[in-house]
Amino acid sequence: MNKELEHSFVELLEKHQNIVHKVCRLYTNNYDAHNDLFQEITIQLWKAYPKFRGDAKFSTWMYRVGLNTAITLYRKSKRIINTQGFDAVQFKIKAEDYDDTEEQQLKLLYKAVHQLNDIEKALVFLYLEDKNYKEISETMGITEVNARVKMNRVKTKLRTILNP
Amino acid sequence: MDELELLKKDWQSKNQDYPKLSYNEIYKMILKKSSSIVKWIFIISLLEFAFWAVISFAFKDSKFLEDAKELNMNSVLIPLSIISYGILIYFFYLFYKNYRNIISTDSTKRLMENILKTRRTVKYYVVFNLGSLVIATFIGLFYVLNNDENVITQLEQASANGEVFKVYAIFIITTILFLAVVVGVLLLFYWLVYGILLKRLNKNYRELKKLEI
Repeated sequence: MNKELEHSFVELLEKHQNIVHKVCRLYTNNYDAHNDLFQEITIQLWKAYPKFRGDAKFSTWMYRVGLNTAITLYRKSKRIINTQGFDAVQFKIKAEDYDDTEEQQLKLLYKAVHQLNDIEKALVFLYLEDKNYKEISETMGITEVNARVKMNRVKTKLRTILNP
Repeated sequence: MDELELLKKDWQSKNQDYPKLSYNEIYKMILKKSSSIVKWIFIISLLEFAFWAVISFAFKDSKFLEDAKELNMNSVLIPLSIISYGILIYFFYLFYKNYRNIISTDSTKRLMENILKTRRTVKYYVVFNLGSLVIATFIGLFYVLNNDENVITQLEQASANGEVFKVYAIFIITTILFLAVVVGVLLLFYWLVYGILLKRLNKNYRELKKLEI
């Protein structure tokens, strides 16, 4: 691999790294697992990079590789359900002004999302990233109708988790 | 308000909260090795091809060939081994072609299908080998019973005692037991290795396919 390619890749990834962090946040529960998954996604992106000819936006392309790695390719540390994980850390920052019911509800929502299965998480992730159903269906490889139906089921499932 | 809408608003407002890796940290990452399941499947599959190739070479050592020659088996063995090498090459070509099709930028479903397809190629090769093993063992047994002088003498003696059926039964049952143990151990091994490796993939693939009719 030549240096120029490495340089352009690392620069692009540095700029768009949030997408990968978000995938890791959704699919892992602790710092080490987060870094581990980030590492694997980076390798997969780098492996696929020579084929990237700017025919798709780099960021669009990162969603696919990121989710594919998290759902399908990645295997290393066992991802344990740890409700005291990342989310709790994230919310500690706001502990001072924490008396809001909306904050409380959000905390529960993040916990609920972590309880979804891998595919459901992917749907939620793309939805949170403001992707339309066409993009969601193309990324996942399912029909648009199917994506809508699945998303509705996810919403119902989240409601069930929140109000058992 | 819709729960997911609330979450979306919050999710998008938290863009600043993520770790920020430096250029050098990312650069170091691309130099590391992947530990993806595709890599594991590739390694295990190569070992399987190697395993069966070694087995067939081991059978071709001089002792076995001499025995086979004595039993007039060459007319069967030579064409069979040519066919089996041809099949090995064909399977390996298929495996490599499928492996090359595993691309992380495909859609999730397609990626999963390509991984499962690659795995299936190797599975068929293993099934083919186990099948050949069973058939070859029975052909061997047939030749032994008809051409091996020791066995023929034994059968003639048994025949004189009226026990010929018993001797045949012993030969056949021993062979079947031997095959059952060998095939059973190998199947258990595959079941464990691939069961562990592909458990999550299979589960997610089923989940993804759930609503498709």
